[in-house]
Amino acid sequence: MTVQATDEDIRERASIDRSMRFPVLFFFTSAAAWLFVATILGFFSALKLRVPGLWEECQFLGYGRVFPMHMIALVYGWALQAGIGVMLWLMARLTRRELKYGMGVVVIGHVWNALVAVAVICIWSGFGRSIPLLDFPGWMAPLFAMVYMAMVVWVIPMFKTRREASIYISEYYLVGAALWFPWVFITAGILISKEAAPTMAAGAGSWFVSNLIYFWMAPIALAVAYYIVPKIADRPIYSYGWAKMGFWILALFAGWTGFQRYYGGPYPAWIPAVSGAAVVFVLLAVVATISNLAMTLRGKTKLWEISPSLRFTAMGMFFFAVYACLSAVSIIPMVQPALQFSFFLSGLDVLAIYGFFSMTVFGAMYFIVPRITGCEWPSAASIRNHFWYSTYGIITLIVCLLIAGLAQGGNLSRPNIPFSTSFMNSTCWVVGACIAWLLIAVSNLWFFYQLALMFVGKGRKSEGPTLIHGGHDNAEGAAGTA
Amino acid sequence: MSTGDDRNLDYESGTASVVDMHDSVRREKILQPSGAESLGLFPLVLCGLVLIAGGGFLFKNANGFSDSTYINSDYRPDPKPVTDDGDGEAEEVAWIDSWMKEGKKVYGNCAACHQPTGTGAPGMFPPLTGSEWVDGGTARLGAILVHGINGPMTVAGQSYNQLMPAWGTLSDKKIAQVITYVRREFGSLPEGDDGVVTTEMVAAARDMFKSQSGPFTEAQLKAIPEDKQLPGAKVDLQTGDPL
Ligand code: HEC
Repeated sequence: MTVQATDEDIRERASIDRSMRFPVLFFFTSAAAWLFVATILGFFSALKLRVPGLWEECQFLGYGRVFPMHMIALVYGWALQAGIGVMLWLMARLTRRELKYGMGVVVIGHVWNALVAVAVICIWSGFGRSIPLLDFPGWMAPLFAMVYMAMVVWVIPMFKTRREASIYISEYYLVGAALWFPWVFITAGILISKEAAPTMAAGAGSWFVSNLIYFWMAPIALAVAYYIVPKIADRPIYSYGWAKMGFWILALFAGWTGFQRYYGGPYPAWIPAVSGAAVVFVLLAVVATISNLAMTLRGKTKLWEISPSLRFTAMGMFFFAVYACLSAVSIIPMVQPALQFSFFLSGLDVLAIYGFFSMTVFGAMYFIVPRITGCEWPSAASIRNHFWYSTYGIITLIVCLLIAGLAQGGNLSRPNIPFSTSFMNSTCWVVGACIAWLLIAVSNLWFFYQLALMFVGKGRKSEGPTLIHGGHDNAEGAAGTA
Repeated sequence: MSTGDDRNLDYESGTASVVDMHDSVRREKILQPSGAESLGLFPLVLCGLVLIAGGGFLFKNANGFSDSTYINSDYRPDPKPVTDDGDGEAEEVAWIDSWMKEGKKVYGNCAACHQPTGTGAPGMFPPLTGSEWVDGGTARLGAILVHGINGPMTVAGQSYNQLMPAWGTLSDKKIAQVITYVRREFGSLPEGDDGVVTTEMVAAARDMFKSQSGPFTEAQLKAIPEDKQLPGAKVDLQTGDPL
């Protein structure tokens, strides 16, 4: 069943896209620039683990500084800005509202970029705090929170004055993400500050990471998936009921996760147990979402071959399932102690941030950018490269992670293997991480180049969308699928 | 018929003619109202399994939500050691290797704060590497592990003012293993010191500080001579027998 858009619809869309043009492009391009910085730093920090003596003399290049810089650039530079760009555009389209005073968002976006830059420089010059993903000096935390809120308030008036009577599922997720993040960020910030108990601070750090993923990245990625998949499949979402259940499950349980990483640590045993159970219950949302999307797409899987947006989004959702399942596996009492302080967990974070969140957001960008710039992606080959290099990078990462984690765990249980070899097994992960970041860095080069061309208006000007296979000439049947 | 370039320009200046609008806007399908199908049995069954697994995990591990149980009785910091690698004959391992390996497992308790690499976290958790408390005699370490520390203290030139929980609930053997691990792995040991602490030495430490109630303060720790060692026989690193 195809419902044709009326002229009225088209005109409305065009004017919404026009109002979004500068703000969204601004967030996308500056996010992409940070992603580039982050991947390079990621590669160097992986290399530092492999060759520890590298640039020994220079303390500015120590692992203890390069790695946090990499994470800050990746999360605050890339993920948050890309997410906010997607959030603004999706919200405008779903509520059918133009963005008023768009230039205001752009100005605040500049402040945000400046903050991220200051944070990175502070860590670089040794003023960091060594709390994962909150490494910047303490005085910056309130600034980050305020500027974030100034960026997301713009979606609230759009939502309040929405023209559609029924609320689409993506809107739930977007409003959720917009409001949950400040809560998570401020709570973690308070618990980590000097006055709080030290044990609480350690736990709050990992609670923050877990909730950044489940309460911010997941909702945005799911909002994208629930938008892109039905749009491209040209079908309604299969079951609204299940979609809403997925949302409420996430809302109910995600906040409890995080302490499972300290099982057997300095907390009463029930705290990590509750967190562990919450990690398992989040799987309900995964089941609901994935099966719902799969049913929406049933019989149309060939679209995967042609539509870049769908392909990236679907891959992102696949990694979402992998991430959630691996997180649940890592709390099984048999394997937990072995994995607890291994590289496994930091690898999982990368899987979530890059494999799941970023891939889905790329899907959204492939959809949005042609609409707001008015030109098509220059080359299908580059999209293919971007996709495959990223995917191989992530898969390398997961495989090495599993091998290293299992080998490390297995080894420790055999006292007759000399102590030092259990460390040797981490080599696998370290080499794997190097290769993975290299692949990801290469894949992003394709993406930046294309995005830059689009930004300066040098995209393709032809009729059809840029499709992964089949080119734009014989894409009659596939029109509307990009 | 306009060229592609013109169309792009029109789009920017906001033409009202739909036909002239950029293709990506025109070709896009509308978002249809969500459906209300049923997903069928399979996802339901899957959800049921997830619920059972999560609930089971919670009630097995929550220990009746008691605030004083820190480590479950069945928690093993790592899979139980097997001395036999499957081919039937037990191989010789140096005693110190298995002692260190066990120590590393117990260190899992400390890694949350002092970090797996022993570097600590600036301003919050002091480092174990390059710390005078670790490099010095074992008496102070024994005191720290059994009773914990509270209040301001200086480690490697930095001051900290936090609480280090007591680990006296661990067995003597585990405390001995973790001190050995920390000293040999992170410390720089004086000439002639192999860094090993035995179960017997930890028992002596418990005895030595049994009048202490609550965590130590820095001043109390300083009252223990810096190079004081816990009494106990040295052991052979290969066999673990007292020398
Ligand atoms: C909850 C976090 C936490 C855990 C877990 C923890 N420590 Fe500590 N540790 C601290 C803090 C905080 C201090 C500093 C205390 C102060 O400021 O008074 C400290 C101080 C120390 C010191 C003396 C200062 C130094 O750095 O040399 C040693 C030794 C030490 N801890 C060893 C251990 C060992 C061994 C374990 C594991 C059995 C452990 N700690 C577990 C937080 C922790």
